[in-house]
Amino acid sequence: MKGRVLVADDAAFMRQMIREILEAEGLEVVGEAVDGVEAIDQFSKLHPDLVTMDIVMPRRSGIDAVKGILELDPHARIVMCSALGQETLVMEALQAGARDFIVKPFKPDNVIATLAKVLEKES
Amino acid sequence: MDLAKYRTLFLEEASEHLAEMSRALLVLEKDPASTDSIDLVFRMAHSTKSMAASLGYDAISEIAHRLEDRMQVVRAAGRIEDAADLPLLFRGLETLERMVDVVRETGEPPPPDPELAQVLGSAPGLKKKVLRRR
Repeated sequence: MKGRVLVADDAAFMRQMIREILEAEGLEVVGEAVDGVEAIDQFSKLHPDLVTMDIVMPRRSGIDAVKGILELDPHARIVMCSALGQETLVMEALQAGARDFIVKPFKPDNVIATLAKVLEKES
Repeated sequence: MDLAKYRTLFLEEASEHLAEMSRALLVLEKDPASTDSIDLVFRMAHSTKSMAASLGYDAISEIAHRLEDRMQVVRAAGRIEDAADLPLLFRGLETLERMVDVVRETGEPPPPDPELAQVLGSAPGLKKKVLRRR
């Protein structure tokens, strides 16, 4: 699978884990962001094919960052990284324009299947 | 997955998270409406929960999840309203610290603390606040 991905998560542990899952499938992680502000900034500089976005982050939340990125590029492909008990926030993110979501703890097959589906779709 | 590598990453990051949580709880002792501290405790609990779950440290993940839920209620209220909340939050933090130490010392998942999980999940203050907001 080919694609340039920006990974946004405030935990280095989770960024490393998702990076390994993506790189094992041939995806290129072109950047990392540790909060919502950095995610928007990195997106504007890197123009990735896809963003994986944590929901709970400092400065600006993942949902705020989705809105900020879609203002820059309405066709941006963003996949939310959610955890148990965040169903309402996931719905809010999807309504804001995120394409799909993956659930922590990550199962590599599920992550790849979701990202492949989103990357295959026309923007 | 290189478990040893991720265990090391977990120990480093979880220890930082718990130290930040401790500092924020000390602020909340003096200022129960400190928004930054409330958000910080919530985020640190949330992040610790996800990391622990990724490595199968279910006991840590469960206590962190209960703390996160309690902080969600505190966030909605905008302050720590119940005097019983802070000691309980400190107890949750200390338990997480002990559990992380078990991982550091043995490399194994720590045993659960069902009594604390139950107390954190069913304290009267939590139920009362949730009901009040409905």
